[in-house]
Amino acid sequence: MTTAFMIAIVVVTTSAADVLIARGVRQIGEVGTVNLIELFHMAKRVFRNANFLYGLLLMTVGFFAFLAVLSWADLSLVVPATSISYAISTAGAKLILKEKVSRLRWAGTLLVCLGVALVSLP
Amino acid sequence: MRTPIVLSLSVLTQVVGNLLLSKGMKEAAAAGVAGREFVSTAMHAAVSPTVWLGIIVLATFFLLNSALVSWIDLSFVLPATSVAYVLNVAVGHYLLHEPVGPLRWAGSVIICLGVVLVSRTKSWTVTDSDEEATGFEEAKT
Repeated sequence: MTTAFMIAIVVVTTSAADVLIARGVRQIGEVGTVNLIELFHMAKRVFRNANFLYGLLLMTVGFFAFLAVLSWADLSLVVPATSISYAISTAGAKLILKEKVSRLRWAGTLLVCLGVALVSLP
Repeated sequence: MRTPIVLSLSVLTQVVGNLLLSKGMKEAAAAGVAGREFVSTAMHAAVSPTVWLGIIVLATFFLLNSALVSWIDLSFVLPATSVAYVLNVAVGHYLLHEPVGPLRWAGSVIICLGVVLVSRTKSWTVTDSDEEATGFEEAKT
């Protein structure tokens, strides 16, 4: 399997996981309490939510794909390349979660992508 | 008020968790037996208090992050928590005395700029709530 293909898998699974987890917790409702018993009941419902569980599964797949690609490719290539997932997740948040991503937020997100890529270079 | 607090805790747990895990794994690798590094590293890691503490702190990060996206935009949380990268660079430089080149400093400044831009947008845009844009002062320093 090529490095580019594995990096694509890491990016796609990470972004999809972000979106699915957000969708899952929003189906349960806003975490607006510090009451431990209420939080526990909420957590029980979250861990039975299909979106959340699929998100968790994809996050796990992404993590192991990340570890696998690191076994033959350099960290300084893989981490900058996966920083694109910030932009993909933001696109997912806009298209699937119906968040309103303004030009200012897009500009900030793209700067973060660029910054993360630079920070991760050797 | 809870947004800046939980965001800061989320960033903090991510940085501390990664630091603990990295330290614990390096200790486990150093304690490894020549010839069967993989098995002995895994066994040392499995009983290392540092590794377990790292896992607990990172699990806390995951729960905090999941809670955050229940009331603020994912497209706000993601760039906002990227301050963790900048803190990792700072921790590496000031605490672990790692050399940090100009490119990494430039990257850190660009991340901060990006976070400042995102923090000026409304943090929750899904419904027509009239919630004010969150200040999120911590990221700007």
